Amino acid sequence: MRPWSDADHSFTCDSEDMNTSVKRWVPFASVPLVAVAAAIAIPLSTNAAQDLPEKTPEELLTFVAQSDVRAFSGEFTQTSDLGLPDLSALGGSGTGATSDDSSIAAAIMELATASHDGRVYVDADNGARLQVLDRLGERDVIATEDDGLWVYDSGEKSAIHITATGDVPDSPTLPPADVPTPSSVAEDLLASLDGTTTVAVGSTATVAGRSAYELLLTPRDDASLVDSITVSIDGETGLPLGLAVTADGSSSPAISVAYTSIDFSTPDADLFSFTPPSGVEVTEKTSPANEHSDPATPEPGTGLPGATTSGSGWTTIVELPAGDASAFEGLDAVTTAVDGGRVLSSSLVNVLFTDDGRVLAGAVSIDALEAAAR
Amino acid sequence: MSNAEVPAADHGRASSTARPRGIGALLLSEFALLFRRRRTWALLSALAAIPVLLAVAVRLSGEGGGPSFVGEIAGNGLFTGFAAITVAVPLFLPLTIGVVAGDSTAGEASLGTLRYLLITPVGRIRLLLVKFAAAALFCLTAALTVMVVGILIGLALFPVGPVTLLSGTQVPVIDAIARALLIAVYVAVSLLGLSAIGLFISTLTDVPVGAMAATVVLSITSQILGSLSQLSAIHPYLFTTHWFGFGDLLRDPISWTSFGENALLQFGYVVVFGSLAMGRFVTRDILS
Repeated sequence: MRPWSDADHSFTCDSEDMNTSVKRWVPFASVPLVAVAAAIAIPLSTNAAQDLPEKTPEELLTFVAQSDVRAFSGEFTQTSDLGLPDLSALGGSGTGATSDDSSIAAAIMELATASHDGRVYVDADNGARLQVLDRLGERDVIATEDDGLWVYDSGEKSAIHITATGDVPDSPTLPPADVPTPSSVAEDLLASLDGTTTVAVGSTATVAGRSAYELLLTPRDDASLVDSITVSIDGETGLPLGLAVTADGSSSPAISVAYTSIDFSTPDADLFSFTPPSGVEVTEKTSPANEHSDPATPEPGTGLPGATTSGSGWTTIVELPAGDASAFEGLDAVTTAVDGGRVLSSSLVNVLFTDDGRVLAGAVSIDALEAAAR
Repeated sequence: MSNAEVPAADHGRASSTARPRGIGALLLSEFALLFRRRRTWALLSALAAIPVLLAVAVRLSGEGGGPSFVGEIAGNGLFTGFAAITVAVPLFLPLTIGVVAGDSTAGEASLGTLRYLLITPVGRIRLLLVKFAAAALFCLTAALTVMVVGILIGLALFPVGPVTLLSGTQVPVIDAIARALLIAVYVAVSLLGLSAIGLFISTLTDVPVGAMAATVVLSITSQILGSLSQLSAIHPYLFTTHWFGFGDLLRDPISWTSFGENALLQFGYVVVFGSLAMGRFVTRDILS
């Protein structure tokens, strides 16, 4: 602190003091400036992706289909910015019911509104494992050919063991197919492309430190809330490395998932053997061997009983039949009232809860949902 | 600070000024001063009380359940350490770090010992480095105190066996203890940024209590900002962002990503606030 006695000094002396003081500050002030500038600039700087040989959209789709990555492990980040309120508080208190349906709905809500980090380990010969890295918790999905599918939740201290009924030694689906990874989700999406989508090749990008092609999928139907989907494809192996869905009228992705690091060596086989630790509640379930079960990402319209669909392609509307309307009472806080029901609106998906208990959902405008409800 | 401590502090300084002062000697004298203070021991005892209270409470009630790790204590004593560090990270550890770092130069200034310290042939920058080193040492000691006392009281009161990691894998006791010590190191590293902030605030004032309070308030503010999803854009830059990332050390295999990100972030805070503290300390008129 500068003493009052300084005021007695002459003006020139004081300003010299000031100057030396400022000069002495320079080295110390420049370091934080450089550090802050680096912290801002480094994440923004786009790593110059190496030039990849040009490919047409068709060649790129074939490249992905023929990709023969048998084993890899990677860390990924999934972010959601759907414009939805944080519903995590509703999860437990909403209906109080702990049936499978509500827990699946809660899981979907949680996936849609929060961001996650995760790791995947895939070895086509051994099994596959997905780890969702929660704060001080973890959810695991482990699939092996011998031991079926394990779903473990460290927070709930629960494990679900799904085994195929009957002895079907050569199951048609490889075990890794049961575990969703960013790659498998993107591969499924690319495999299901049809005439309703325009496919184009975008610029090259760097994903997980690797040069990647970007495949741009755009709905032909303008009514869809989806503006485009970008799939990043590893330039060397053809493995999809990331997926980003952009909503209409938005510049940043509403949902994105991409590896932050990837390693193509074979993961440790111990990772695929799961023994439920003591004190964990294990639920044994069986599923017919021929039916493809996918607990972590249930496809709307296929996994839910009694669901009907209308429309096609990108503007498909899924309708759940009249059920218990009171089940949605807890959602009042996050929905808005419209003519004939309540609407949960996000940038990518709208959900209409009609007064008679039906639920309609689709990547379309609220008006289209209301029209479909009539 | 109580008056009772003044003679002790003065004594520490007096004995060390008699020796030739290199930076090594100054460092040793500062460390000795830190651990000679009754206040340091009071802070460490308060931290040690956390796992003891947790373990005794679980033992007496005999109930399972509770927040992360607490529910597992009754089944496996080693979880006392994990539970205690989880309880201590958001408030108690920042509180003690705030006291030590906030006091570092403001305390000397308020006691009138700072000017004598600066007469010794040790530059102000070195003095500040030594002060930061002492604060960093306290971070490590504090985190280790919580963890080690937690493990010991857990061993004393509860059965101990293989530990279930977050991934559902069970590891032997030795492995679990190694991971516990690693967690203490992680927590110590994640408190370095706060120490640098405390040191900087301490150079701004002659009132140690003000610097301590400001440091603690900043750590809480940062955690509140971190919990607001509307501010997710700034979350990666908050020094509290990775405070609970130590859970990544309890996975199978260990995820080092958050350890690295945390270390880099804390290093950034140390560089920024360390140089601000130096700028302030070097240009400042020391009057007391």
